Amino acid sequence: MRKSTGCQQTKDGEAMKKRNDNKRAYLYSGLSLLLIFVVVVFPILYTAYISLTNMNLYHWFDFDFIGLENYRKALLVLDSGFLAALLRTVLWTVVNMVIQLALAFMLASLLNSPNLKGKGIYKTILMFPWAMPGYVSILLWKTGMFNSTFGLLNQWMERLGLNMVRWLAGDVSAFICCTVVNLWLALPFMIMIIDGALQSVDRSLYETAQICGANRLQKTTMITIPLIKPVIGPAVVITVFTTFKQFDVVYLLTQQAGSPSGANIHTILTYAYENAFITSNYGYSSAISIIIFLLMIAFTVLTNKQMRRKRV
Amino acid sequence: MKRVWSILTALLLIGTIIPMTGCAKKQTDTNTIVIWHDKEDAVVEVLQKAFEEQLPDVTVELVRKEGLTEALKLVGNDPSAAPDMYLFAHDKIGVYAELGILAPITDFVDEETLSNYLPVTIESATYKDTLYQLPLYFETLLFLYNRDLMSDDEVPATTEELYAYMQANTSGDHFGFVEQHSTAYYSIPWINGFGGSLISDDGVPLLNSPEVRAALKYHKKFLAYMPGESEYSTVNTLFLSGMADSIIGGPWLVPSAREAGIDLGFSTMPVVDETGLPLAPYTGVQGVHVLKVAAESKHDTVARVLNVLTDPQVGIDLANASGCAPANALAYEDESVSSDPMVTTMREIAETAVPMPNIPEMDVMWTVMGNLLVAVNMSDGVVETETTKYQTKAEQLIEAMK
Amino acid sequence: MSMSQKQKRKALTCAKKISLHTFFVIFCFITMIPILYALSVSFNANNSLLSSDFSFLPKAFTLANYKAVFTEEAVLLWFKNSVILAVCTVAIALGISIPAAYAFSRMRFTGRRPLLNMLILLNAFPSLLSMFAIYKLMNPLGLINTRLGLIIVYTGTMAVFGLWNMKGYFDTIPYDIEEAARIDGANELQIVRRIVLPLAKPSIVVTAVMVLIYVWNEYIYAITFLTGADKYTLAAGLYSLQAGEMSGSWPVFAAASLVISLPVLLIFLYVQKHMVSGLTAGGVKG
Repeated sequence: MRKSTGCQQTKDGEAMKKRNDNKRAYLYSGLSLLLIFVVVVFPILYTAYISLTNMNLYHWFDFDFIGLENYRKALLVLDSGFLAALLRTVLWTVVNMVIQLALAFMLASLLNSPNLKGKGIYKTILMFPWAMPGYVSILLWKTGMFNSTFGLLNQWMERLGLNMVRWLAGDVSAFICCTVVNLWLALPFMIMIIDGALQSVDRSLYETAQICGANRLQKTTMITIPLIKPVIGPAVVITVFTTFKQFDVVYLLTQQAGSPSGANIHTILTYAYENAFITSNYGYSSAISIIIFLLMIAFTVLTNKQMRRKRV
Repeated sequence: MKRVWSILTALLLIGTIIPMTGCAKKQTDTNTIVIWHDKEDAVVEVLQKAFEEQLPDVTVELVRKEGLTEALKLVGNDPSAAPDMYLFAHDKIGVYAELGILAPITDFVDEETLSNYLPVTIESATYKDTLYQLPLYFETLLFLYNRDLMSDDEVPATTEELYAYMQANTSGDHFGFVEQHSTAYYSIPWINGFGGSLISDDGVPLLNSPEVRAALKYHKKFLAYMPGESEYSTVNTLFLSGMADSIIGGPWLVPSAREAGIDLGFSTMPVVDETGLPLAPYTGVQGVHVLKVAAESKHDTVARVLNVLTDPQVGIDLANASGCAPANALAYEDESVSSDPMVTTMREIAETAVPMPNIPEMDVMWTVMGNLLVAVNMSDGVVETETTKYQTKAEQLIEAMK
Repeated sequence: MSMSQKQKRKALTCAKKISLHTFFVIFCFITMIPILYALSVSFNANNSLLSSDFSFLPKAFTLANYKAVFTEEAVLLWFKNSVILAVCTVAIALGISIPAAYAFSRMRFTGRRPLLNMLILLNAFPSLLSMFAIYKLMNPLGLINTRLGLIIVYTGTMAVFGLWNMKGYFDTIPYDIEEAARIDGANELQIVRRIVLPLAKPSIVVTAVMVLIYVWNEYIYAITFLTGADKYTLAAGLYSLQAGEMSGSWPVFAAASLVISLPVLLIFLYVQKHMVSGLTAGGVKG
């Protein structure tokens, strides 16, 4: 099916093929791996290094190694507020991912309907949220849509005779608003990925299924979804991480200095920002970053194990 | 497909060559001074002109740098990437002084020249008894009013008068007075009006001091006559569209107000009846700072550049070009400056204004104060509980800074 | 089938088509609401983002804001800078990710699985503080304030995504074709160029577009690493225009935002046709 069908080889031959492959593989991917190491891995290592020092305003250029002191400080301070933020972030991620996947899948499938004229135009329009820098869009939403006196939403509410709502003031409504904005920003990417994945599915499989009498739902659940899973897998994982780490949406909508909205919906990164990053204590902030990093990895590994267990 | 490939390869080649031509220049030329800033064109042009006229043999580059404050933390001690000086507000002096990247201004400008400056500006620019900034101009919040809606005699002289005015003139969509009531910067006038302050000079937060509590409690009653939302776009729009008679705002509102056709009136702040002190905003002093790396290698050029800026004419030009209040007292002897109502009002306010703290600990106070205000004003918290809670928060954060 | 049954069938497909189109039109409209709002503000002669009686058609229509964008701000210069950065980043990113994706997809070698998993996990790191580390790295190499440095940062950031995305797609291309070509005597380079790449075109185009959008909209690194208004990219320039409390004009900002997004959309519209897979067109059968 999809796996490569190698011919039968002797054990010796296989070993030699593997060695050759090693050299070739690293030759091909060498540059890429090097760049990734430099730009992505090194900062992580460096942050870990700084987290073990006392680099702060008073020791900016002349910091000393202080071991796990910052971690101790972090764990003492990580109180109930942190836990609440963590849970909220998990909820945020789950809600966003579920809706995103469902909506994107539906839209991508519909976009792939046979003979849909103007498909390209629809796709381009749906990509619009993505074409602007993030902070611009968030600003537009905050001031243009959600503003309680002049925003579009409230102006419409007024015209409909309803009371104006302070959308970003209450915790629940602010959470919903942030989710809407996040979805607005993230859907284009997901749609594009799923669209590409749908294209990779061999149409003939559907025809065969049709002949076997499968209906729409069966075709979707038994052919489409299993086949696109491996293709969209990495993108979904990356999106999960991005959603979890999301800072801009929540911060700019509800907490930016100068325009606080009254809602208290800290996610893990905004919490870290308000409690650590603004102190300019780099050692301490680095420790918190590393802790969050490890948390997310632990989370991923655990979920992976859970999913593997389910499959068996 | 083949064509796509050749195009891609060609691009790849070009792509690696072109960027090479933008290599970094090393700042070793002692006759070039780079000044970073994030100010608007009007101010920059005045300074550029002064430099060109008075220092024709020195190249002064005023380079606009967004995110100046963070960038300085990164490059502060690196001669090849750091600027020689930068033009910015004074409140970051403490931070950069602790980083150890600033040089004292007194190394370049003599005491006598400095004595011409308004005391509050020199005070603002001093950290741990060292002067780190050469002040250029300053700004404070003003009491602005729409003279079509609030006549000159109606301008409240005390806060109770203001309250009465608000009661009489606020209904539905129309407000007698608006302000960003839950933003830290705008709560300062009230705090200072009760003789309180957010933080002591040696970095101890004072959020649960009796003065701050009194201010917050007193201020609460004004909220009933203001819009629920405190963010700047709402508040400013209300004033600019004539839906609010008066506002406490900064000089940056003035051009927009004039553009909107509002007949602007300026006034000093009302006095708090209880304490007899006026609502006293922070002064923000904009000026030039010198980086140590430049001080060492380009001492004389730096001194010359700074001394150009001490000329009162620069102050006068700044006031004329952009409505800034000059820091140099001599500039006020000029007719054009002393007749500008906004500039003179700011100078008056500066007599009783409090310099914005420039200690590093202040950095965390903004967020904490903002949250405190939201808790008290928007979420209807009890003043005593909230101030205690946020006092602890502030102490924790300041502790975490070390 | 009788005539009326055939007509019924036709009517049903017609109804389906109409409802499909209606759905999309409505959905697209909803998606565009904030954009339409920005559009309206950009045509507005009053300098305020908000007004108490708002209507989609501005009461004081003017093109002055767009004119201001082009004449008062160095938009064309920013455009040039953005284009240079984007083209270089896309070219280099593709250049290194395609071979890497091919290797990870087709070859079996030690460390393959662990490397792949680790690459994904790297995305879990909150990179708010990475600026410092990158600076520490670029500085000794003299790459601060250079385009090359920025390109390296951008490429590195997108490398993981490019690799994983294209590898996933390569995996779905049946190995049989390559096998057949190999038996026919083609060497690896020819196989890659003539067979694999054309089949992977949709994925390559998608990755290219994603990298392009990333570079186009990225402003944090652009602002920190490049100094000087002559080096501004579109995103950085837009940031400097930002109408905050203290300065700036909302309509000009709105106009600039829309102008900046336009090229990306045009490119997207153009590459639509390249994103249709050769596989579904029946390129591989049997």
